[in-house]
Amino acid sequence: MMEQKKTRKRLQANTALRQIITDFYAEGHRVKAEGRPVIWIPPMNGLIELFYAMGITPVFPENWAPLCAAIGTSRKNFEYAAQRGFSGDLCGYFRNNVGYALDGIDEENQPLNGLPAPDFLISFGAGCIPTMKAFQVMCDHFKVPVFRADLPQVAMEKIEKRHIAYGVAQIKRLIRFLEDETGLKFDIDKLRQAVLHTNEACRLWDEIMALRSTVPSPFSAAEIGIMFVMVTRHGTEIAVNFLKDVLREVKEKVARGEGVIPHEKIRLFWDNIPLWYNMQLFNYFEKWDAVVVAETYTSAWSLRLNPDEPLESIAYKSLVSYPLVSCVSLNKRIELITKAVRDYKIDGAILHSNRSCRPISMGQMDIGRVLAEELSVPSVMFDGDHMDAEKFSMAQFQTRVDALMEMILEKKRAS
Amino acid sequence: MNRELKDLVHRHKEIAREEKEKNGRLVFGTLCSYVPVEILHAFDILPVRLWGDGKGHERADTLLPTYICPPARNIMAMGLAGDYDFLDGVIHSYTCDATCGLFNIWCRNLKPAFSFLLSPPYMNTDEAVAYCIAEFEALIAALEDYTRKRFSVERLQESINLYEAARERIGAIYQANRNGATVRYLDLYQMNLALQVLPIEIVAPFFDGYLSNIKPLAPRKNGKHRIMISGSVVSDPDILARIEELGGDIVVDDTCLGYRLVQQKILQREDPLSALAHYYLDRPPCSSRADFPARKGYIRETISDFDVNAVIFMHQKFCEPHLADHPFLKKALTEKGIPQVQLELEGEGLSGQIQTRLEGFFEMLEAG
Repeated sequence: MMEQKKTRKRLQANTALRQIITDFYAEGHRVKAEGRPVIWIPPMNGLIELFYAMGITPVFPENWAPLCAAIGTSRKNFEYAAQRGFSGDLCGYFRNNVGYALDGIDEENQPLNGLPAPDFLISFGAGCIPTMKAFQVMCDHFKVPVFRADLPQVAMEKIEKRHIAYGVAQIKRLIRFLEDETGLKFDIDKLRQAVLHTNEACRLWDEIMALRSTVPSPFSAAEIGIMFVMVTRHGTEIAVNFLKDVLREVKEKVARGEGVIPHEKIRLFWDNIPLWYNMQLFNYFEKWDAVVVAETYTSAWSLRLNPDEPLESIAYKSLVSYPLVSCVSLNKRIELITKAVRDYKIDGAILHSNRSCRPISMGQMDIGRVLAEELSVPSVMFDGDHMDAEKFSMAQFQTRVDALMEMILEKKRAS
Repeated sequence: MNRELKDLVHRHKEIAREEKEKNGRLVFGTLCSYVPVEILHAFDILPVRLWGDGKGHERADTLLPTYICPPARNIMAMGLAGDYDFLDGVIHSYTCDATCGLFNIWCRNLKPAFSFLLSPPYMNTDEAVAYCIAEFEALIAALEDYTRKRFSVERLQESINLYEAARERIGAIYQANRNGATVRYLDLYQMNLALQVLPIEIVAPFFDGYLSNIKPLAPRKNGKHRIMISGSVVSDPDILARIEELGGDIVVDDTCLGYRLVQQKILQREDPLSALAHYYLDRPPCSSRADFPARKGYIRETISDFDVNAVIFMHQKFCEPHLADHPFLKKALTEKGIPQVQLELEGEGLSGQIQTRLEGFFEMLEAG
């Protein structure tokens, strides 16, 4: 058995990230205490710029779920959901968020003081079924005004003007709702500015991710937490400034030729959501001198927005956010993965068959076949769950990953 | 007569193959009742709902995870076995995540000559209807391109009339069943399925015949429990038969193929596409497309209309839309004093576990 090696230092940006996370949740409570509106919104609706532009604080229950998994409160939320009759076969985000919203929110001494209760909610017609249904449960539970969203599911490569136009019409309906409910006025110039920030954040994001194609890779998937700003702080300078710092740090590492591990030999691709309760899993690969240098999930923000067409831009962002990482278009997903394999010089792939995410897990057998037959990249699939530790077997993971690593090393030796 | 229809339903793939070989018709598979079959019919395409009994899904394990619902795995397994090798195309209308994934995986692996994913809106506002019409027009353009035929509004109206007449007949049979006539739900089940898997021209006369033979009062129904079944795909007639044997009279349903599809008319409008969009968006939505108020509204109204006194949830294993709705609907039923039971379908038909749950449930109903 090989010794597990210690990872080299995490990115220093993590210190700033911790503060950003703390500030984000503190802001929600501060705003609430000041009597200003807090809205709970689904993560992938792409309209965050609108809320920031109108001075409305968005809260993302789905983003809260990984935190709950990381700090260990998800188990209690699962229990609350089960007591309410929700099946254990439902997605872990759903069970966590429903359990939290219905019961966990009333607990005392919550990490980060928990979530501030919503003044408004969006009932989601879009995204994946568990997200849509979780918001319906919340809408039924919190007796607050609800905006019923409507965003069709369109494969990214099939998005046409009619889809954008319908998205814009829905955003205008949302603006009227927010103006009526809050008395706040929508200002398109503020939205333009927010869209500009998001566009810059996406550009920086791509630049940071592209640097991972360097050999050795400056950071691994263990740093995926930096995407917190892409989910919660789009439309703000906070994301832009943070990502500028990350980019600077990563560039310096690249210039020094400093990899995340000392002797990088194997470069890996990770498909599907990480195990939020076990992010150290990414360090497991280090005993094989291997690093996860690219993932499916991080491609969700690889887009560009046009500040001159702010409504169209956020409509487009809404339309692509979910299909980009799910199976609305398997062909598009395979195209993205194929590109990543080439760009990031991937030696092997880890496919997380995720019981909590059917939209991402469906199609993985096809992905595995494309990797093997068209790209000569071996892969391994393991069973897991991005929220529920009880549905993950470390022994199975290690056995399968070890076999893959041996295969890759053998292949490298042979060549 | 019902035996004959049942036989036709059983042979529906064979019939579709014959339609293709003898009459030169294109045959398209559909994965959801939100596919506008009227448009396909207007192009002389035979729509066939991909349908199985949920059993025998192991063959799909090479393409689908085991935590996908049994019907999706079963359909994929049938596709891999070549059961649908006569299909020229596949069309899906986005509803649940599992079926969308199935559509993608089907297309990638079985490579139909034509495929189309419709993206309908979730609401039925004027804007949504206009957008839905634009989606239909995109489908029409793709069909024109593929078939080299020009779309005809007149032909679409004729197709709408055909389907509308058939749905109206089935709706009337539901109403007769509600009023205690000599209708068996198993017959309705076959009729609903026939509408999805057989050429409309073949099935419509059966509905007329059935309707004219109904006797207004069925003495055998006296004292039976008036049951509603609720779930997504229900493809287990053996379970339905067992419910009847135990003293249940299934008077109505809340399933993918059933009363929701036939309870309202397609209103005549100047533009048949607009009429069609209204039909698909105005009818009571399925769980994947509905919010809770809409689901509760349909369940409560239907229970009241059909004087239902118990509900049997028939949930496919891993079916997230229905599993997520269940506690909410259960609560709504409890508030109304309606007893209910949940069956979890794992693609094994009338299993021992399901038998036991049903027997226990009916014993409870008998005990009052």
